[in-house]
Amino acid sequence: MPKLIQAEDVVTNFYTYEGVVKALNKVGLVVDHGATFGLVGESGCGKSVMVRSMMRIVQEPGQIEGGKVVLFFNGDQQQEAVDLLQQSEAYMEDLRGNHISMIFQEPNAALNPIMSIGDQISESFLFHRKKEMSKKILEDLSADDCRVFLPLKKLQQTLYTIAADNPKSFILIICSKIPILSLWQRRLKREALQRSIDIIRKLSISNPSETVHRYPHNLSGGMKQRIVIAIALACHPMLLIADEATSNLDVTIQAQILELLKDLKKTEIASILLITHDLGIVAETCDRVGVMYAGNLCEVADVEKLFQNPQHPYTKALLESVPKFSQEGRLRSIDGAVPNLVSPPSGCRFHPRCSHAMEICKQTFPEEIEIEENHMVACHLYVK
Amino acid sequence: MLAFITRRFLFMFVVVFGVSVLIFSILMTFSPERRAAVYVRSPQQAQNLPQLVESLGLNDPFYIQYFRWVKELTHFNLGYSVVAARPVWDAFKSFLPVTLELNLYSVPIMIIVGIWLGTISGIYHDTYIDHITRIFAIIFWSLPTFLFALILLMIFYGYFEVFSPGIISDAYSVYIHDNPDKYTQYTHLLTIDGILNGRFDIAWDAAKHLFLPVVTQVMVIIALLLRVMRSSMIEETSKDYIMTARAKGADKKTINFKHARKNALIPVVTVAGWLAAFSMSGSIEVEVIFTRQGLGWWLANAAIQLDIPVIMAMCMFMGIIIVTANLAVDILYAYIDPRIRLS
Repeated sequence: MPKLIQAEDVVTNFYTYEGVVKALNKVGLVVDHGATFGLVGESGCGKSVMVRSMMRIVQEPGQIEGGKVVLFFNGDQQQEAVDLLQQSEAYMEDLRGNHISMIFQEPNAALNPIMSIGDQISESFLFHRKKEMSKKILEDLSADDCRVFLPLKKLQQTLYTIAADNPKSFILIICSKIPILSLWQRRLKREALQRSIDIIRKLSISNPSETVHRYPHNLSGGMKQRIVIAIALACHPMLLIADEATSNLDVTIQAQILELLKDLKKTEIASILLITHDLGIVAETCDRVGVMYAGNLCEVADVEKLFQNPQHPYTKALLESVPKFSQEGRLRSIDGAVPNLVSPPSGCRFHPRCSHAMEICKQTFPEEIEIEENHMVACHLYVK
Repeated sequence: MLAFITRRFLFMFVVVFGVSVLIFSILMTFSPERRAAVYVRSPQQAQNLPQLVESLGLNDPFYIQYFRWVKELTHFNLGYSVVAARPVWDAFKSFLPVTLELNLYSVPIMIIVGIWLGTISGIYHDTYIDHITRIFAIIFWSLPTFLFALILLMIFYGYFEVFSPGIISDAYSVYIHDNPDKYTQYTHLLTIDGILNGRFDIAWDAAKHLFLPVVTQVMVIIALLLRVMRSSMIEETSKDYIMTARAKGADKKTINFKHARKNALIPVVTVAGWLAAFSMSGSIEVEVIFTRQGLGWWLANAAIQLDIPVIMAMCMFMGIIIVTANLAVDILYAYIDPRIRLS
C-alpha cells in the first residue's frame, strides 16, 4: 500500500520550570493509504504529543526540535511529498482540518461553549471551502428563480467572483470589516450552514436542521463527540487522527462511535490514526499497531502479528496485563512506574522495568530493526 | 430571553425596596429628638422640641414613618441639604451633571482600555509586552488614588500650570451663568453643551479640567480589569476547544479574538459592571481632590457635617445605580453566554 504520512525521528521537548521534558525521543511511524493505524501505550508515554507534533499543534511550552513529517499527497510519489515541519504556519493552517484533522478526547471540553453547533462546523467550511462555496453561490445567483434587487445582485456577483478567485483578497477583507458591506458574507454563511446540516445528517444525528442552532450544553456526550467528528470530517480529510476519541464515553456510545469511524473510513476518509490505551479497540479496528513507551516507539507490527507474536518485552508485559475471562489468580502488572521524562533512564528507557535487561540496555539506545516482514522492534534482545 | 429580562427587572424592584427599608432603619436608630433637631433653625424652636417631634410624627410606628418617607420620596421631596443650602432634590440635579460628565469619559475608557490591554497581555503572556503591562498594573493598583491624584496635580498644575482643578475657568462660568439667551444648557454637561452651542473654546476648557480627574479615576480600574482579563484569557487559551479550533485550521487571530476572548469576557463583564457602577456613585476622592462639585464632593461634605437627608438620598441613589448596573450585567451576560440565555 502507498504511504500517506511518514514521521521520522520526531523530537519534541517541553520547557517547563522543573526542566526539559523530553516527551518524544526520535519517534517515527508510517501510516499507509487506506489503513487504520493504532498507537497504544500507557498514559503519559507521548502518544498525544506525537500526533500533535505531526499536526504541529503542540501546546506551549512544547517545541518540535527535529525530525521530519512527510505527507504524500498522491500516493508514494516523492515529488508530491511535503515535509510539514518545514512549512510556514499559514500553510499548516490551510492543511489542518482540510487534509489532516483531529478529534479529541473530551467531547465536553472540545466544543466552544458559547458558539452554536452550526457555527462551529461552518468554520471548517469557511476556512477551507470558500472558493468552492463562492462558485456555488455564483451559480445560484445567476439562476433565473433568484430574486434579488438588481444592483445588489450585481454587487454580490462581483464580490463572489472575487471570492471564487482569491478568498483572501484584500478587497474582501476590507468589505468584511465595514458594517453594512459585511452582509455580503451572509450567503456564504448560509451555504456553510447548509453543508454543516448535510454533514451531521450523515453522522445519523436526528433532526440536523434544528441541532445546528443548539449549543453544546444542550447535547449529550455521545452527540457532542459526533459533532466533534463532524467538525473534523467537514472537508473530507485524507487522515483523521482520533486522540482517545472514545475513552471518556460509556461503552454503548463507544461502540457506536467506533462503528461510525469504521463506516466513515469506507466512504469519506482515507486513513485513520487511532490513539488509545484500550487494546480491545485496537484488536477490533486497526490494521497496524505501534506501541509507545516513555517517548519511544518500541514495536510496530500488523495487528495479528502483534497480538500473537509480541517481541518487545514491554509489548509482552502490556498484553499480559489485559484481564481475560480465563484468568486465574492475580492480574499481572508491570513493576515500577513510568519514568519521569525530565531525566529519563539512560539507554533503553524501559530497562529499569524490564525483566530481560542487560548491561548494554543501560548504555545505548536500541536501534529499530525489522525482525520479520513489516514487524519492527527496538530492543537489544534482537540483533540484525 | 424576554422572560429572563422581565424576571430580572421585577427582581430589581424587590432589591430597591430592600435597600430603602435598610436605609430607613439606619435612620431610625437616631432618637426622635435627634431627628427633629435637623429642622431646628433657632434657639426658640429648640425649646419646642417635644411639640416638633409630635407634629412631625417622629414617635409613630416604624411602618407608618416608612410609608410617609416613601411618599415624600416619590414626590422628590427629600428634605433640605445644609451643605448645599438648597432642597436635596434641587442640589442633586445641579451636582449630577458634573459626576455624569466625569463618568461619561472615564467609564468607556477604563472598560475598553482595560479589556484591550488584558487581552494583549494574555495573548502574549510572559513576553516583554506582558511584563510591561503587568508592572504598570501593579503600580497603579497599589498606588492610593488620593496620592496619585496629588502627584498629578503637583506636576501638571504645580509645575506646568496646564490642568487646573475645578470644573471650568471662572470667566466661562460667569459667562454661562449671565448669558442664558446666548448659551443654552442642553445637557448641563459642559463639554457637550460647548460643542452644541458652537463654543469650542468652552468645550476645550472643560475638557482640560476633566483630563486629570479622568486619568486618576481610570488608572486604578484599568489596572484591575487588566489583571482579571489577563488571567481569564490565559485560562481560556489553554482549554481544549482552542485545540479543536487549531485542528480545524483556524488562524491565530480567529482563535484569540473569536474563540478565546469572547469566553474570557464572561467573568470580566461582572467586574466591569460593578466598577462602572461604583465609579458612578463613588468618585468621592477624585471630586474632593480636584474640587469638582459633583455628587461625590457633596456626599463627602454632607458626611462631615452629618447632613442626614443628603446621606440618605445618596444611599438610595447608589442603591439604584448598583441595581441597574447589575441588571445591565445580567443582560450582557445572557447576550454573551447561551448557557444563561437558554436555561
